[in-house]
Amino acid sequence: MRPNAAALPAWAPPAVAGARPVPTCISGSPRRSVRSCLLQRPLGGFIPDKLRPRFCMNVPSFFHFTFFLREVRTPAWSRWIWRTQQFSVPRVPSRQAAGKNSSSNLLGLTEAELKEQFVRGDGPGGQATNKTNNCVVLKHIPSFIFLQCHQTRSVEQNRKIAREILQEKVDLFYKGEDSDVFKEKKALEKKKQEKKRKAKENLERKKQFKEMQQLDKK
Amino acid sequence: MRCFTHPLLRRLLGLSPQSVPGGPSQSKGPICSPKWSSLRQSCSARPGLVTATDAVNYWKKVFETNGIPEARESSEYIVSFVLGAKTFQSLNSKSLYTPLTALQQEQIQQLSNKRLERMPVQYVLGEWDFQDLTLKMRPPVFIPRPETEDLVSLVVEEESWKCEKNSDLCFPVSVPHPVILEIGCGSGAISLSLLCKLPQSQVIAVDKEKTAVDLTRENAHRLQLQDRIHILHHDVSLSSAKQLLLWGPLDFIVSNPPYVFHEDMASLDAEILCYENLDALDGGDDGLRVIKTILALAPSLLKDSGL
Repeated sequence: MRPNAAALPAWAPPAVAGARPVPTCISGSPRRSVRSCLLQRPLGGFIPDKLRPRFCMNVPSFFHFTFFLREVRTPAWSRWIWRTQQFSVPRVPSRQAAGKNSSSNLLGLTEAELKEQFVRGDGPGGQATNKTNNCVVLKHIPSFIFLQCHQTRSVEQNRKIAREILQEKVDLFYKGEDSDVFKEKKALEKKKQEKKRKAKENLERKKQFKEMQQLDKK
Repeated sequence: MRCFTHPLLRRLLGLSPQSVPGGPSQSKGPICSPKWSSLRQSCSARPGLVTATDAVNYWKKVFETNGIPEARESSEYIVSFVLGAKTFQSLNSKSLYTPLTALQQEQIQQLSNKRLERMPVQYVLGEWDFQDLTLKMRPPVFIPRPETEDLVSLVVEEESWKCEKNSDLCFPVSVPHPVILEIGCGSGAISLSLLCKLPQSQVIAVDKEKTAVDLTRENAHRLQLQDRIHILHHDVSLSSAKQLLLWGPLDFIVSNPPYVFHEDMASLDAEILCYENLDALDGGDDGLRVIKTILALAPSLLKDSGL
């Protein structure tokens, strides 16, 4: 089953040219942390049944669709209408941040499945130019997921980081809640909530203690 | 953003952009570098407060008005640098919308003024990334190009392929200690990257420019690699190559020599023509002058299995 395109609002350009759309969290909480990559999928694009993940129509409620056409020099892809899913993507791939081996249980990506483009403008490269835009656009052909990575000033590093993040996204896309990426993120969120709850409890206890002290003084 | 419909900006955009063929040598300065006070006034939603995003958009407009190429990228790199980050995309949302201090605004202005003189961003910031290293950059030493990162990866691949071949042949394999010569080291990007990726390697880096030798030495010290690199002020086309054999025959000779056709030199961007050492680019009439010199030297320097 395809996403019901009619139910979705039409794409509109951002209110002010050049404005960056506000990123939102997967969990729906206020925007936070690093907008390291933008993830893009086609609007109502056809996804062959065998590639469609089983959770495709159970679109997680925490996914927030925003409409934003990125200025990417990708003439070969210009026929696609892209809709951006903005994730609160951490500065480093999440599994690396958690100190785990990033390639252990994730679906592997082969170079044949990937299409890469550097957003560096027109004209020849090499010594004759000094272009500084080392942004890398990486596309996973089977799932139509692509992302832009401009985390560092080195094109090699951006390529490496883009691949790591794309691998996580593809794994999440195909495995859904079975994905290690999803599980770790949930665990992290749970830990954070637990920490918040404990901090709140401590604050309450301190408050009560102070009140009791004041009562004793009287 | 609302502040950029301010009349000041409309006046800015109404001025004709100034072409800058000769870079800093021309008599007229950049068009209209408005003071920060104008920017602060223009951000009416938050009087007196300027955020990183405001600054990027503001300086992007200023660069565009003055015909500076890569206006957005330049302003993003400058603002990110002042905030302690590598790229704008790597800043967190808190940094993007926190008001900049007066010192930060002053620093951004100073750096942006240099960029308005068509100074390359790498020289403006005084540093740049090459693979996973951050290296100091200083005019007129040649700025490493992104394509050169592929060259380093190729050498590393070749070395690992050689090691695999040796282990397949069941030779008694001790840890390999490849000796590499880099001709034309510039800022030391290739040499220092190879030293990091091949921990047992040693490098002899040569350059005919003293400024390049000094900068490579400085970068080597910053990365604590000075013990494994020998940097020589040496012109391979003029001087004897004997001193290049101080560690014996070489496993690799690596270089990003000048290869631009001499007739194309005049059409290079102002950033390159005015600030970089043109000897690092000019490859002569056929672009092969230095390359031929290196190829002629190679047989006398390399091991039988050398590349």
